[in-house]
Amino acid sequence: MGNAVEFVKINKHFPGVHVLKDISFTVKEGEVHALLGENGAGKSTLLNILHGVYSEYEGEVYLHGKKVSFKNPNDAILNGNIYKVHQETMVVEELTVGQNVTLGYEPKKGLFIDFAKMHSDVDAILQELNCSFRSRDIVSTLTAGEKQMLAIAKAVYHHSNIISLDEPTASLTSKETEALFSIVRKLKKDGITILYVSHHLEEIFQICDRATIMRDGEFITTLDIKKTTQDELIHAMVGRSVSAVAARLKPSQAKPEVVLKVDKLTDGHKFSDISFELHKGEILGFYGLVGAGRTEIMRVITGADQKIGGKITLKGKEVTGGWNSTKALKAGIGLLPEDRKTQGFNKLASNCENIAISSLEKYLTGGFTSDSKKMENAKYFFRELDINPKLPEYMTVNMSGGNQQKVILAKWMSTNVDIIIFDEPTKGVDVAAKAEIYRLMEELVANGKSIIVVSSELPEAVGISDRLIVMSEGKITAEFTDRKDMDSDVILNYAIGGNQA
Amino acid sequence: MKNFYVKYKREILVFIAAIVMCAVFTAINPQFFTWRNMLTVFQQMVLNSLLAAGIMFTILTGGIDLSIGCTFAIVGIAVASGCVGGMNPFIAIVIGLLVGAVLGLFNGVLVANLKLQPFIATLGTMSLYRGIAYVVTGGTPVTNVPDSFRNIFNGQIGTTGIRFYVLVMIVVFIIVHIILSKTRTGDYLYAVGGNEEAAKLSGVNVKKTKYIAYIASGVCTAIAGLVMLASLGSAEPTAGIGYETNAIAAAAIGGTSMAGGRGTALGTFVGALMLAVLKVGMVVINVDSFWQYVVTGLIIIVASYFEYIKGDVAAFMARHKKA
Repeated sequence: MGNAVEFVKINKHFPGVHVLKDISFTVKEGEVHALLGENGAGKSTLLNILHGVYSEYEGEVYLHGKKVSFKNPNDAILNGNIYKVHQETMVVEELTVGQNVTLGYEPKKGLFIDFAKMHSDVDAILQELNCSFRSRDIVSTLTAGEKQMLAIAKAVYHHSNIISLDEPTASLTSKETEALFSIVRKLKKDGITILYVSHHLEEIFQICDRATIMRDGEFITTLDIKKTTQDELIHAMVGRSVSAVAARLKPSQAKPEVVLKVDKLTDGHKFSDISFELHKGEILGFYGLVGAGRTEIMRVITGADQKIGGKITLKGKEVTGGWNSTKALKAGIGLLPEDRKTQGFNKLASNCENIAISSLEKYLTGGFTSDSKKMENAKYFFRELDINPKLPEYMTVNMSGGNQQKVILAKWMSTNVDIIIFDEPTKGVDVAAKAEIYRLMEELVANGKSIIVVSSELPEAVGISDRLIVMSEGKITAEFTDRKDMDSDVILNYAIGGNQA
Repeated sequence: MKNFYVKYKREILVFIAAIVMCAVFTAINPQFFTWRNMLTVFQQMVLNSLLAAGIMFTILTGGIDLSIGCTFAIVGIAVASGCVGGMNPFIAIVIGLLVGAVLGLFNGVLVANLKLQPFIATLGTMSLYRGIAYVVTGGTPVTNVPDSFRNIFNGQIGTTGIRFYVLVMIVVFIIVHIILSKTRTGDYLYAVGGNEEAAKLSGVNVKKTKYIAYIASGVCTAIAGLVMLASLGSAEPTAGIGYETNAIAAAAIGGTSMAGGRGTALGTFVGALMLAVLKVGMVVINVDSFWQYVVTGLIIIVASYFEYIKGDVAAFMARHKKA
């Protein structure tokens, strides 16, 4: 078997940063090859070079033994038969599946699009991939997992023989992930080479043949997955041993005092009849499948959306009409949103500004905001939370996922907020940063704060929570008050709601 | 100083471009670089820069205020009627500013409470306000505004030839600069424009911030309306038609991002300065008035291309050396 991809001494510089240093390795034809590393290790940059997003770099890229140099991503798709499925799939929601798959390369009859041929061609591909949706379906009716498969269908439509999947399971349910894996196995059988980027190491062991590990822009090693353990992978990625699973290092800090009481909360749409209490110093977990309604509850509690029924009581005071995020901030409750990139911070602002935005009254000198006071505050939290690189003036959007999360946490820690809701806090965050975020949560509760964690990762939910609430389809289906009772199979069953069990 | 350069790269670039234009015009006709002509440039930029400062507030939040030309007309009519009717000119000025603020607030309510798209909402009030101007005046101008009002803006500093309204413009820009860079309101405006959802989740009062943006737009527009009234001595219901486009151009040339979240008072000032240099310069070197439109359009497009490269000259050069 030949080499599908060969990188030879790839170097890439961004202004002031050497992001890829002499990267050389090969990907064999027909294998599923994992690309692993922490956020900021250079995986995305390398993929961007491979797929023609960056046309300027040093070094050489060979596809099937032939040197290539793509001008742009389209050039790579058409002339290199190489396709990248993005982390957040890019689709036009209002068009049909067929129109999305063939977008820009529709079959034509004279001047017009040949819709009959489009739909029959695309349906053939979908059937081949065992997809449950059809070419004539409107994309907005598809789930996140189906959209992911649509993107793969697009790769097949373009006769791609090398496909990169960048964190494909980040927003998929476990069932959808399974369906995706069977497609990956099928593509592999057809001789297609897959490059697979993921932070979920279990997935790597399920479907990958080999794994290349990068760290700080350098090639570390390529390992045969069958002869490797998870600990070895982590050690190679991080350069030291880190516990991959969430685990409590300190005992529960929960006090009897109730800081948040939710009573029969309903939004008339995504959830109903939600009642629970949060105690001071507690880490309360919310586990459920994607779409169980957990995010929606947290948004209502923090004033981002409106309820239609039920009561919220914060520190003994009932929340009355006109609840909004500004009042929630004053009342001492804050949310770290699930979707950091679109909801977490201002892309046009520096870390310093993003940290300061919720606590501006702290940085006043004679009524005017003081940049140096904001900077002082940012520097304090950069030290305290070990945010890297240590550049408060740097744009938040250029930081890695874990560090962005810490910047958002620093924003809340700069305020008087004492109830912090973490919605999927480690989504897209690498192992080492994950462990740090868990440690920070423990520190927060040790300092008297109270935490709610929404998580779709069972080991995380079980590992970090003092108490765990399980949700299914907008309803609370179980509550585990003792950590000893938190059995994965039982919890999963409650999360599925018994419907599919 | 280095910080100043990093922070205001774009603004410095536009300023240099304006200087280069001055040099070119002077080379063609030395009459351009005279004290009197420079004063003309500053007088020329006053109206547009004030309108641009106002519209910039709304653009920063990711919105737009298309109704400024009409607010401009209504303020003129209100103040002119008051002054002609014998009102104390200073009270008339306060009323003019209040009228601007109320018209702006109405836009703000449409955008923040009814969640209308700013473009559509202010397209509506653009016609609405213009209609009010016509209805109130019956279509005829309010004339004979007394000198007691006009001199407040038209007076000169000693014998320098610098009119008071040029000072008014400078003071307004200093205030806008302070609001944007030194107050909580400024931070909130950028936060809302940069990412409204993130700002909301951070506890920023998004509604209030939008009200402030549209009120500021109305007030800056009102100040422009006062200056116009003082220099003409009469208020017409047709005043200000199309002024919003020049204001947008000045803000955009100065680096204000139409998507919101990015822009400075200094940038808008130099943007308006550049347009004024261009306009006066083309007259001085006798460019045909039809061609003036063509050249102005091209300059706006070229300047926007520089916005695309985000004023980063180094990257620009690097890219074009290789290509």
